[in-house]
Amino acid sequence: MPIDQAALALWFESVSWLDNEAQLLDAGQFDQWLSLLTEDIRYVVPVRVTRERGGGPDVHLGAPHFQDDLGTLRMRVERLKTEFAWAEDPPSRTRRFVTNVRPRSLEKPDVAVQSNLLLYRSRGDDPRPELISAERHDVLRRTSDGLRLSRREVILDQATLPLRNLALML
Amino acid sequence: MTHLLTRLRHDVDLEAGRLPAYLFSDPDVYERELQAIFARCWQCVGHTSEVPEPGDYVTRYLGTDPIIVVRSEDGAVRVFLNVCRHRGMRICRSDLGNAAHFRCPYHGWTYRNDGQLTGVPYQQLAYGDTLDRDTIQLRQARVTEYAGLIFATWDDTACPLDDYLGDARWYLDFYVRRAEMEVMGPPHRWEIRSNWKIPAENFASDAYHTGHLHASISRLGLVPSARFAESGYHVHAGNGHGVGLGLPSDENVFEPGMLAEFERRLSREQFDVLRQIKNMHCTIFPNLSFLISSARLGGKLISHTNMKVWLPKGPNHMEVLSWGLVEKAAPADWKERSAQHYVLTFGPSGIFDQDDSETWIDITRNAATPAARELEFYYVQGLGRQRAVEFVGPGEVYASKYSENNARQFYRRWLQLMANAD
Repeated sequence: MPIDQAALALWFESVSWLDNEAQLLDAGQFDQWLSLLTEDIRYVVPVRVTRERGGGPDVHLGAPHFQDDLGTLRMRVERLKTEFAWAEDPPSRTRRFVTNVRPRSLEKPDVAVQSNLLLYRSRGDDPRPELISAERHDVLRRTSDGLRLSRREVILDQATLPLRNLALML
Repeated sequence: MTHLLTRLRHDVDLEAGRLPAYLFSDPDVYERELQAIFARCWQCVGHTSEVPEPGDYVTRYLGTDPIIVVRSEDGAVRVFLNVCRHRGMRICRSDLGNAAHFRCPYHGWTYRNDGQLTGVPYQQLAYGDTLDRDTIQLRQARVTEYAGLIFATWDDTACPLDDYLGDARWYLDFYVRRAEMEVMGPPHRWEIRSNWKIPAENFASDAYHTGHLHASISRLGLVPSARFAESGYHVHAGNGHGVGLGLPSDENVFEPGMLAEFERRLSREQFDVLRQIKNMHCTIFPNLSFLISSARLGGKLISHTNMKVWLPKGPNHMEVLSWGLVEKAAPADWKERSAQHYVLTFGPSGIFDQDDSETWIDITRNAATPAARELEFYYVQGLGRQRAVEFVGPGEVYASKYSENNARQFYRRWLQLMANAD
């Protein structure tokens, strides 16, 4: 089968973008991370519930885990710089594993990208890690500065979260 | 058990404001709590807006027991143990839905949504005439509603809910009876390695932590100053129910269009107080907490109402259920901004809540270690203080929210129940 060069380029571009983003977040470079977002970003993490097969949606947006825009995301980052952000100070050690990257071109110069995320978090001297598994639905917008995240919806694989808090970006 | 009670009576000294650390980690204390408190007390299992239509159900826990909260065909909300009477399989395994019947996966015993066993596969073949279906029902808890809150208890001898809540109803009304309220969606659920009493006590009593633990919030300009938590009243509303009222506020923090409905539903005294509120926290004993909180987000004033249940999962473990509540008739824009404010501040990602859970986990961890668990903690704030007389609400009222009286009263009630369980 001949390789679709355009699809390959799009895939490479998407993987590079997501890998770079994961690297910034794992390294705690949150201001740089903010600069990868568009002014009108919508960042949403719905609540997941257990339903019978065919019983209706298992994703709820009424009161999600995150319902953020650039203002509130910036607030979360600014908070980490105060000396009172105990939930992440000292910071957790995190590692984001991004896989199964599936980009597709949208009508505008935007790219819709789905990816899987496994987030490993180790905190303090507790040897037991916290793990979050999720599917991310992103829209990356092509701007003069390069690709910027304009929408992210994170579908968690857990209904009851096995973690102390969500003081992390997904 | 006698040994445990002797120890508790000796070590829990509320007159002196001393509490032993092992209360927050001891397995014997926890086992006793399941019998003396969670099998006895009225506990909130949800809100009626979660089950508006006949057949609507949610599955929850009452104490540690799995339950189904369902609106039966006759319109009444009932609470059943989610356990088949035949072999004990969980009969409903979905968080929410609508069902006329619940059928056990194991052998197919089927119960109507009023708890009655109506179907037994191959009944003649398997049982002949030896099984009388009409005599078999799911185990049912007692249920009483208060302003949309669904309370349940396993204890048939428990006092009526109205007596259990007592004067706390006057304060509870600010959260759930000021208007017709609805949940924003299914609750946030997360597990924390914390003893359940630590957050319950925190919401009943602890305004003092706000200035330091949550100082990041005032640094961000969401609230005016680190001292914002001090002004107001600290109220013990009886039976271990504790309330903290943050006031006065410079401006009304609620949706202005809802004030007329508030005025209609509340007493004049309640309405006058409501108009001055900037925040309000409380715990209904043992494990139901509420919060009204306000802030300036994007330059605009917004508030939200949060309800939390702290479910015991072990001496060092709990599950949090957390709902946003909002006026059903509020405009869509207010509902959306109120949800955003709740999620940003008090859900699992909330910039208040995440620092709270951090401390509760470490306290629980410490309370289990040999040297630390014998420590006595200081619950002396506000001891000997004169009660305030100027406030219109009922209960034992103190001016200034900086007091630990509500914590002392919480544990007084706790000890009373722990000692009376036999």
